[in-house]
Parts: sequence; C-alpha cells; structure tokens
Amino acid sequence: MSPHTVGTASAPEAAAAHPATVRTRDWLLVAAAAIVALLALYAVFVDNGNLVSATGSYLHEFSHDGRHLFGAPCH
Amino acid sequence: MSVSAQTTPYPLLPLLGRGLAAGGLAGLASGLFSLLLAEPLMDRAIRLEEQRSATEAAGHAGHAHSHAAEAEELFSRGTQHLGLVVTAVVAGMAIGVFFTVAYALVHRAAPPGDGRGWQRSMGVAGAGLLALSLLPALRYPANPPGVGDGGTVTERQALWLAALVIGVLGMVLAHQVHLRLGRSGRGLPVRQSAAAAAVVATLAALFLLPDNPDAVPVPATLLWDFRVLSLGAHLVLWGVLGALFAAPLPRRRPGSV
Repeated sequence: MSPHTVGTASAPEAAAAHPATVRTRDWLLVAAAAIVALLALYAVFVDNGNLVSATGSYLHEFSHDGRHLFGAPCH
Repeated sequence: MSVSAQTTPYPLLPLLGRGLAAGGLAGLASGLFSLLLAEPLMDRAIRLEEQRSATEAAGHAGHAHSHAAEAEELFSRGTQHLGLVVTAVVAGMAIGVFFTVAYALVHRAAPPGDGRGWQRSMGVAGAGLLALSLLPALRYPANPPGVGDGGTVTERQALWLAALVIGVLGMVLAHQVHLRLGRSGRGLPVRQSAAAAAVVATLAALFLLPDNPDAVPVPATLLWDFRVLSLGAHLVLWGVLGALFAAPLPRRRPGSV
C-alpha cells in the first residue's frame, strides 16, 4: 500500500509539466495494482493449495470462514 | 494532449490511495460485523457438521476423516476467526482498486468540485453490490461451513467465477444502455426501464448456469440466518467503501489514514 501512496505527493506538479506521460504512468501503476489485487483475491477466495502448500491448503483454511461468508465455494 | 489533462478531474494516484484506504477500512468493518454476528453461527454449523460426520463414521468405519477435522488440524477456530477479518481486509483493499478503476472510467469526464462526489461514489458502490454480490448470490447463495463437497470445489469455483463475470458484464451493459439512451435524448423512464431490463437479462443469464451440485444438509433456520448475514457483510463492505471513498479528507496528507 505505501509504495503507491508515496508516489502521489509528486503527482500534481508533474501532471502540470507532462500530462500525457504522467497519465500513462498513472494508468500503468493502476494496472499493476489491479494485477496485485486480482492475485490477492485469488489467494483469499480461490486458491486450494497452489500458492502455499507445504502439507495442506493453508490459504484455503486460513480464509475458510471468509470464503463461506462472502459466498466463495469452499469444501 | 493538454485536452486530456483537462478532462481528467482527479489525479489518478490519490484516487487509488483513496480506494485502497476506503476498501481496507470497509473490509475491516465488514470483517468485524461478521466476526460479531456470523461467527457464532459458523461455529454452530461446524459443531453440527462434526456430529454428522461422527454418526456417519459410526456407520461406515474408515471414512471418518471429515472436512472439519481436517480444518482443525491446520488452524484452530480462533485462528480462522482472525482469518475471517484478515480475508475481509485483503478483499476490501483489492475491491477498492477495482472500485477506483470503475470510478475513474465512468466519471472521467465529470467536472471536479461540483459537489456530486457522494452520489458518484455511492452509485459505483451500488453497481458493485449488484454486480458482484446480489446477482451472483441469487444464483449461488452463500452456504455455511459443513456444506460443500471437496470433490466438486473446482467445478463450483468455475461456476461462481462465471457468475461474477456475468454480473459485471451485466452492469456494464445496463450502464451503457442507460448512457446511450440518454445521449440520444430519451427520458429517464425509458433509460431506467431499459437498464432494469438489462439487469433482468443478466439474472436470466445467471440462471442458465448449472445448479450448485452439492447437497445442503443444514437446518433451514441456520441456513437462512447465515445467508442474511452474508448479504449483510456484503452490504457493509460496499456501503462503507462508497461512503469513505467520497469522504472529504483533511488537507494534512502525512499521518492521516
């Protein structure tokens, strides 16, 4: 979270100088955040031992109650 | 390209920070709501499941390894209670990112400082609630622990993800229909009826998906209460997200949120 918010301070003055490039950079950062967000959602709601599984579905069992409550399929 | 700068009322990155913070806090609120109200229910459902599998095991010996027992081996119920809140916060932050993307895309031409930020934010939150919570929940309602066959989990995940995608596509369709009819000069009755028809069509598409294959062997009252609380958790998440995203921030940037 902090790497994203740190960059915001310089955004306004940079936007005045190079609007198009700054806009592209901002959208690229948002796209990167969206990819991380998709991975996070996969980890908490879908993964069954593909990401972290030494001996079991740790992510599945840790997020077990959240999966049931938010309607994600659970075993 | 200076035109594009003028048509972007909000710098994108502060908006993203706002989405992450509002999403995380909304997830926290939803997680605490669930911890207080839904966890007693889930604990009861798990005790019932253990009783069920115990009687089953007495019937056919050797098939005693239940899901609940398995879960108990990895994490205690206390850890899973914590896991619920952590899951909600992580999901809230992730949803906050997509909320930001939707907000920035839908309202990219909106004039800044016109005092309609609250309406916009709650509008996006309402659309998200409909697309990702209410419509998919009508097709595949949440089930308490004790429901769900490990053998069908991959199939059910595919169906659930398909329902989420259909929900989002349906909301995009409804929004586009509403927008384009407005551009061609139609009045609100026509625009809103057409958007509602798009939502109904989305619901029909959802019901073309196959049924959830699993049996639901839990008492009806427990199931009802659980599903109401599940919708409550969704409602808290979207409501707090929409409200906080629109909330004015004090000018001091470091230290706050």
